[in-house]
Amino acid sequence: MAASDAVPVSPATARESDAEARLWRRLTVAWMLIVFALFLVLLLLGLAMRLSQANLLQKLTPEYFYAILTLHGLGMVGTWFVGAMAGVSYQLTRFARPSLGVARFALLGTLLGVVLLIAATLVGRFGTGWYFLHPLPFYSAGVWPQWAVGAFFAGLGVLGVTWTVWTLDLLRALARRYSLGGALAWPTLRGRSGPETPPFVLVTTASLLSGLASFAAAVIVLVLYLAEWLGTDVKNDPLLMKNLIFFFGHGLVNVTMYLGVALVYDLLPPLTGKTLKTNRLVAAAWNLAIGLVLVVYFHHLYMDFIQPRALQYIGQIGSYLISIPAAVISIFTVLYLVYRSPVRWNLTSLFLYFGVMGWAIGGVQAVIDSTIAANFRFHNTLWVPSHFHTYYLLGVVMMILAFASHLGREATGVPDRPGLARLTATLFLLGGYGLVVMFAFGGAHSVPRRYSIYPQELAQGALYARVSLLFITVLVVGILLYLWDTARNCWKAMSA
Amino acid sequence: MPPQLSIFYLYLVLAAIVLAVFFAVALSSRKPREVPQLAIQRTRLGFLILLCLVLLPALGFTLVKLPYELWAGEVPDRLVFVAGKQFAFAVSESPVTTDEEWQAKTMAAPVEVAAGSLLELRVTSLDVNHSVGLYDPDGVLIAQVQGMPGYVNRLRVRLDRPGRYNLLCLELCGNSHSRMRGVVMVRGGA
Repeated sequence: MAASDAVPVSPATARESDAEARLWRRLTVAWMLIVFALFLVLLLLGLAMRLSQANLLQKLTPEYFYAILTLHGLGMVGTWFVGAMAGVSYQLTRFARPSLGVARFALLGTLLGVVLLIAATLVGRFGTGWYFLHPLPFYSAGVWPQWAVGAFFAGLGVLGVTWTVWTLDLLRALARRYSLGGALAWPTLRGRSGPETPPFVLVTTASLLSGLASFAAAVIVLVLYLAEWLGTDVKNDPLLMKNLIFFFGHGLVNVTMYLGVALVYDLLPPLTGKTLKTNRLVAAAWNLAIGLVLVVYFHHLYMDFIQPRALQYIGQIGSYLISIPAAVISIFTVLYLVYRSPVRWNLTSLFLYFGVMGWAIGGVQAVIDSTIAANFRFHNTLWVPSHFHTYYLLGVVMMILAFASHLGREATGVPDRPGLARLTATLFLLGGYGLVVMFAFGGAHSVPRRYSIYPQELAQGALYARVSLLFITVLVVGILLYLWDTARNCWKAMSA
Repeated sequence: MPPQLSIFYLYLVLAAIVLAVFFAVALSSRKPREVPQLAIQRTRLGFLILLCLVLLPALGFTLVKLPYELWAGEVPDRLVFVAGKQFAFAVSESPVTTDEEWQAKTMAAPVEVAAGSLLELRVTSLDVNHSVGLYDPDGVLIAQVQGMPGYVNRLRVRLDRPGRYNLLCLELCGNSHSRMRGVVMVRGGA
């Protein structure tokens, strides 16, 4: 989107009444407070794992380490997915009318799913990692009981159903207002005049459609697992299951990132004094992304040499190609918005802007990691957590935290604190990048990921973990400063 | 220098460039002014061209260096069969297909090969997904391949340096995942 695209977009106010608007705000604030609480708990679990790897928490046995690893991975991905969905739902109410009832159902379903996952992992010690590769759940080596397997899959099932219903409702609302083709800016793509599709609507629709595909894969995996678990004659194929699981997992993470980008498209322009609209280039890029996102997951299976060779090629080519529209359209657009603009730098704009920077730097790592020849040396080393923590912690998490900050201030009218915002962002970035660079450094020195403790021949891993603890401390201070400001505003908004 | 380190430095350089661009653009907001439309469009086009000039050759260059085709035209000097099972690798010169064979091979002396030998590892699993990470005597990860139940993955690797090569598991396989081991010994002189 260039300067000529700077035509103001005036979203139709779709909320029926002020009372409905208040209910949406209250619900979204509740979501943000839950997200903060989960974030803190999951962050502490991450810290515990790094302490264990640094040989500073010897009481953490491997059984609990892997249970915590499973909860940390699934929990963080799920927490920020619902955070993004809640944020997008709230912003979407300015354009369309999603169902408040479904949004409340999503909250309850998510809480139930979380309780089941916590029971399976922290109580039942279910420790397969987030990706529960077939047939590991059935080979517990005496660690987790059968009920933990059931609770884990029940939790995933509840979350899968809940999030699918939630996604479908948002798509319904979008289709009702714009038609599905309209929400995907197809008239713009064809060069036809017609109702304008705001970029936020386009990105949200593209993201949600990709999300549906991921959830469909998750449902298939769960049904196949269930059939085997119940003792039927079904004997699942590990390679097929691995493909389905990574299709689901990679898709979910991608969707979360794209929903975060949708928030950037919506929240950043007003803070820069510029406006955006959807042109043909933007429409083409996001429609293309829906297709490409479905095939890039193959890069998770490069080290399965028996995977058909064509799929390996598609994995690398798709991963390279998808980075071009992301960089040329979205990242460039954000730079355009800020360049020489009278930006109102506050917690929201800082976290949105530097969240996009995290997306860009994580993208550099993603391209490297999706190169089969490089993946041969980096797969399942600490390089990989470096990449996805950059994408997540320093990317989409910052975008959603920016939304929460915006929401808290909008609800309470508390003025910006630019000095505090700069300090918070500085500590967050310093600690966060220190953390991810130490992960990458470990990967470059052949340290595997998902090791509860490093054996003697990989003793350097413990040293790197100790160094990273310094950066984690800085990061935690930054997060606490953020929460001191934003969580207080959200709390006030809840009780108002 | 292992390729991993070279790639790490490349990543640092590229990340620093991105960081510098973002901070420079952020600082530009201190002196706001109108930016000509044409300049924005030209910059975007230039960025697109630059990105394509970097990515497309990189794609072409790396797609011909796939680990699936290493030494594809040669006959391996030795076949080495690797079977993973919670929580050890059986490394053998004959296929390992039963729990008993796996048990016996995990207790047996390590497979020995001459330096410079071209090996073909045939990797499978008797229970869950494992992954063979092959570490050279300096502890550098030089190759890896997944071990999956019901499938055999073939990896060719030439071991030039004498010493002990550890096989570590790189796929989470249970609570003693980090303790899984297998060994190949390389003796001096090809």
